[in-house]
Amino acid sequence: MHIKHHPILGEQLQKQVTIYFKDEPYTAYEQQSVAAALLANDIKQLGVSRNLVQPRGMFCSRGRCCSCYMTVNGEDHVRTCMTKVVDGMKIYPNDGDPQVRSESHGD
Amino acid sequence: METDVLIIGAGPAGLTAAVETASRGLDVTIVEESLSMGGQLIQQTQVLGSLPSFYQPKRGFELAQRLRKLVEDTSVRCLLGHRVIGFYKDGSVGISDEANVFPLKAKKIIVATGAAEKAIAFPKWTLPGIMTIGAAQTLLNRDFVLPGKHAVIIGTSDFAMDVALQLSEGGVQVKAMVEKSQTVLARDTEKVNQVSKMGIPVHVNSSIKEARGIGRVEEIDIEQREQIMTIPLDTVCVDGGRSPILDVFYQLECSFGYQRELGGWIPQYNPFFRTDREDVFLAGNAAGVSSQGVLLVTGIIAGINASESLGALSKEEAEIKTTSLWKEIETLETKLDPDVWNARIRHVQNYEHPVLTDQFIS
Repeated sequence: MHIKHHPILGEQLQKQVTIYFKDEPYTAYEQQSVAAALLANDIKQLGVSRNLVQPRGMFCSRGRCCSCYMTVNGEDHVRTCMTKVVDGMKIYPNDGDPQVRSESHGD
Repeated sequence: METDVLIIGAGPAGLTAAVETASRGLDVTIVEESLSMGGQLIQQTQVLGSLPSFYQPKRGFELAQRLRKLVEDTSVRCLLGHRVIGFYKDGSVGISDEANVFPLKAKKIIVATGAAEKAIAFPKWTLPGIMTIGAAQTLLNRDFVLPGKHAVIIGTSDFAMDVALQLSEGGVQVKAMVEKSQTVLARDTEKVNQVSKMGIPVHVNSSIKEARGIGRVEEIDIEQREQIMTIPLDTVCVDGGRSPILDVFYQLECSFGYQRELGGWIPQYNPFFRTDREDVFLAGNAAGVSSQGVLLVTGIIAGINASESLGALSKEEAEIKTTSLWKEIETLETKLDPDVWNARIRHVQNYEHPVLTDQFIS
């Protein structure tokens, strides 16, 4: 849930934007991180772990734990707690390892 | 790109170090991973109780605004959204903007990378909805998102009390605080009383046994004197304490010492907050986890002595200022916890006899 009126900081959410998670539109506000904006829309599972395929969500919100990796605007393994929402952003869960070892990307 | 002083991290310590160096006419560059200055002060809405004598009491975010203003009034170059990712063979710092990497040659480096929250492991601790207490506070006060409706906090530090109060005031029902020790760890009894007035139950001699849920946390088991209490919820905030962020010090091959009260392994440093490398200073939680007030003072000391090493102020003046600032640290840190102050003194005394060099620890 977005906090429309914060007990100390007042009304901070001003500029509304639309983001897309698995091609569905959701409401977010400029200045929010991608992980936070998804959580505000009750999306907590941001991906799965690579070995045991366990659900993963935002954990540290500091860009250190990498639990919030997602695919954002075509880029894999984006730390969504460190990335701010942008209108029209396309977000997909991190459901596997990205293909990085290919001829076009070197090894 | 070249600079006199490179400061890594724009938290409270990095910012005071920047003001000290830039105000003496040095060319200063700050590298900051996030997109804003202020570090973890940004989401601190509580009044900071123990600031240096030359500061009025203020809320964390207000202090961040003030520091930001002071830095903006100087000619400091701020590379926001940039990270130090390594060092070139010639000693240049490798900086990335997430797309490119470029070298920056710095005469002196002040490392103010801060501290990271530690996790608490229990079965299913990785379920979505389980997060650090700092993450919950960030959601609430920086992103303006309610982390959930029903939460349990694992831990009873002063910080845990602050966040418990802020979550409650924000509309989250804090169902319990869980402490494995016999007593509450918070030293601020006023805060503990406020938590109790809010009707938040605090369970001592208790620990989290496991979490359960499908795709997200739905309930947890709390064990208290061999009794199991199951609590339905959607959010668990874990307060595992913090430890200094040391990656850059490893890369710079600094030596380390261990002080449990200061967060574990920390780089060796002398009273001038200089590491065992002549060109590397440090400040803030990276020099030992402490209160916000202490962090500010360590940044000032590092800034003064980095300036002195570049000839921007005299040795005598730097020494006089440093001595009086150490008194400030003593006052603040003894009030926070005398054990922390004692560990800091021990650590600085050990500078001449490092216990660990040329060894990668993690």
